[in-house]
Amino acid sequence: MIEKSTRRRFIEGSCRVLGLVTLGGTAGLLTDRASANAVYQVDPNKCKTCDLCRTSCVLSLSAVKAVNDFDKCGYCMLCPAYMDVMSKPDEKGVPTGKVCPQDALKRKVVGHVDADDPNNNYYEYGVDEALCTGCGKCVKACLPPAGNGSLRLEIRYSRCVECNECAIRIACPDSAIVRVSAPGMAPAKHDL
Amino acid sequence: MITRVSRTWHRLPARTRYLWLLLLVVAALASSVVQAQYQKKPPDFGGVYSFPSPTHPEPRAAWVRTLDVSLLVAGLGVAAWIILKRRSRDSLLLLNIGAIAYFGFYRKGCICPIGAIQNVTLALVDSRYMISFGVIAFFFLPLAAALLVGRVFCGGVCPLGAVQDIVLLRPVKVPEKLDRALGWLRYVYLGVAVWFAGWGLHLAIGSWKIDVGRRFLICEWDPFIGLFRISGPFHMLAIGAVFIVGGMFIGRPYCRWLCPYGGLLSILSRVSWKNVVITPDKELDCGLCANSCPYGAIHDLRADRASCLACARCYASCPREREHHGHSTSAAPLIQVQRQ
Amino acid sequence: MDSNEKNTDMTRVKGRVRFWRVWFAPVAAVGALAALVTGGLRSRPAPRLAPQQGQPPAAPASPAATGTPTTPTAPTSRRMLQMAESPAAPARPFERVYTQAAVLGGSASPDQFRRSLAGIAIGVGDHIYVLGDDEIRIFDPLLRRVRAWRAPEGATSLGVGSDGRVYVGAPGRVEVFDAAGKQVAGFSTGEKDRPADVTAIKVFGADILVADANARIIRRHGRDGAPRGLVGNQSKTGSFMLPNRSLDIAVDTAGVVYATDTGRHQVTTWALDGAPLGKFGKFGMTAPEDFVGCCNPVNLALTPDGKVVTGEKMVARVKVFDPNGTLLAVIGPEHFDPSCIHIHLAVDSKGRILAADPVRREVKVFSLDQPPRHGERE
Repeated sequence: MIEKSTRRRFIEGSCRVLGLVTLGGTAGLLTDRASANAVYQVDPNKCKTCDLCRTSCVLSLSAVKAVNDFDKCGYCMLCPAYMDVMSKPDEKGVPTGKVCPQDALKRKVVGHVDADDPNNNYYEYGVDEALCTGCGKCVKACLPPAGNGSLRLEIRYSRCVECNECAIRIACPDSAIVRVSAPGMAPAKHDL
Repeated sequence: MITRVSRTWHRLPARTRYLWLLLLVVAALASSVVQAQYQKKPPDFGGVYSFPSPTHPEPRAAWVRTLDVSLLVAGLGVAAWIILKRRSRDSLLLLNIGAIAYFGFYRKGCICPIGAIQNVTLALVDSRYMISFGVIAFFFLPLAAALLVGRVFCGGVCPLGAVQDIVLLRPVKVPEKLDRALGWLRYVYLGVAVWFAGWGLHLAIGSWKIDVGRRFLICEWDPFIGLFRISGPFHMLAIGAVFIVGGMFIGRPYCRWLCPYGGLLSILSRVSWKNVVITPDKELDCGLCANSCPYGAIHDLRADRASCLACARCYASCPREREHHGHSTSAAPLIQVQRQ
Repeated sequence: MDSNEKNTDMTRVKGRVRFWRVWFAPVAAVGALAALVTGGLRSRPAPRLAPQQGQPPAAPASPAATGTPTTPTAPTSRRMLQMAESPAAPARPFERVYTQAAVLGGSASPDQFRRSLAGIAIGVGDHIYVLGDDEIRIFDPLLRRVRAWRAPEGATSLGVGSDGRVYVGAPGRVEVFDAAGKQVAGFSTGEKDRPADVTAIKVFGADILVADANARIIRRHGRDGAPRGLVGNQSKTGSFMLPNRSLDIAVDTAGVVYATDTGRHQVTTWALDGAPLGKFGKFGMTAPEDFVGCCNPVNLALTPDGKVVTGEKMVARVKVFDPNGTLLAVIGPEHFDPSCIHIHLAVDSKGRILAADPVRREVKVFSLDQPPRHGERE
């Protein structure tokens, strides 16, 4: 049995107490300032749709996906984000090329359907998350003046692993990844 | 998602459930009031169409973080019990595997106390930084445990340490002087990590300039995050492979020489209330414990509390321990808990 | 202590310890390395994006178009500009040529518009009425400011009657001012649960035509504000298709109402009682007479000789058509900011086209060249 001198034990004991007090005090100070969980989200006002969201995420399929704000969407037949308006048109005059390289932007006709003249139809556009890579091509094509700007990139928390420091944030040249307090609604997009 | 929500819902007490329902009703009323104000209405498409409500998947619920903290506390407690009372290497191994499974592969190794150094630094430097309760708990609880019962976090809970511990095959004896010198690297890394987390690097010497914003270096160079996520950039996977292969022949190299949090823990562990101690026995100074310790933490047949990573291998190799596993023995166990 | 005994004990102990301890570690290490290799394979650098489906573009695409945009709005229109100016597009001789004669309200002007520019109209004696900077400013034909007064809250458009009354559109309402700028009347427009988004107002005799972009219809009101009917609902969809949420109208001297049906890329004509009369225009990205993008033309005006002036976005330009759809003139994109989502138009009695650029906040005045020159566009 090793017996330490009382002086040694006293010093060790006081160090212990001092250590606990310091830890407790700092923890208390920080708890005072603590807020709920903070999460990362894309600020659509700063995002310049540069394709880095697709390649910088630590996951192989990026957690950033395009989402369509339905209240802003024009439901156009000739959606500039869906079809590549510069591509060769078919006999009805509708361009045949698609903007999305993964064909992740899907559309379905809604409301009253006119089978003869597609120009009379409204289309609902949605993003297939399993295919979307977050490259931002559709978002860029939807930006005004071409479109209404209803498409934007968003970090989907069902996929994000919530790294302590978002790798996309490090890579983003426009500082568009911001920390917001949970539940992490994206900052509202300013209308032009 | 829906099953998770419904399961959580049914586990709540009735009062809480009613409170949530009331909150939902109030929110619905409030939102309808807001919508009655003027706003551009979307077109009427004719036929039947209802606007899809945009989905915003919520991040992990707050209760998951509470669960993490609770499991951390439980893990520390169980580790302390295994290391100091039960003294069993096998039980500790099971705890290590559990820690790798939960804190490692399931939670993908994030948030960890090592990374929490940066969050705490940033929170102290910049009062606008949002730090969460979970991160604070993850940083301070293992330190408090170190003050009380030694480095039980390193021994039983830390998934990074557990990975290295599990792959350890044939430890090479590192000369003591070298071991000590390398140990200083931890504090260098700690200083650099704290510097980058709090302030970043802004230097200008003549025409040569370096301008790096705040970065979380520990997260970017974490050895095993790539393993836990089973994906990642090449440099992270390469570092992981190096530490795994190295860890087979050198005992826990990251923990001993690079881990900044380990540096803090080792300082605090020196004055811990209870710790692993080897009592001198004139009859049996076989030195098997010293041979078995892969981390060189036994000097002159005495445990060095600063370097002891609480792996319980000395227990496993002590003949007294083997013979008299338990408490009611005539011969006192050689390696025991000593109250100091 | 008997060393043999000790050794046997230790051997047994070591044997048991050694067996599964020894194998456990390498198996774990191999497993971890396998996981890392899997991770490496999964994280291979993302393959280059697959070439787009469909036919290659009809016009040579410039390399600058696919690479590095710096502003968030310009890329597609830059491609369009290059296409429009590239040698592949034949230099068509247009019947008419317009050249810029003056600029009103620009940064060099004492009447500079500093915050906004939202609408323009021509009144009695070719006076120019402009809605901008939360004011209604009146200029004489020599572009000197005559009068100005504060516009109502949220004003979106304006129209001028032949008696000099100014009608200003605001959410759900039309406010009426006399020639001196005093408010004399006002009426609400639109449905109860769907207040009108008044994007254009035109006066024809005793009728006030209000373009309601919210309901996507043109509303006829009497001078007292009483609703007199709708124009534009006698179509297949019962309303205009306006993805860009904006409707512009014009009325000629015979009472024919012209309206922009942007979703269909058409200019449609209607009688005052709502009967559809005709339409022209179609979508196209290459031919200059076609309307580009998802929703064009966004603005509309009529010349005194009955020609139709249209304004487009995405490729910001102004075109002049015959009512049967023949393209007569193009005022090119070089005059306007490429990020415009509107170019408000008005034409005075001398045929000068006034085009208001809301991004640069200036009104450009274009006059007709006499005689027209072949192939030259300024």
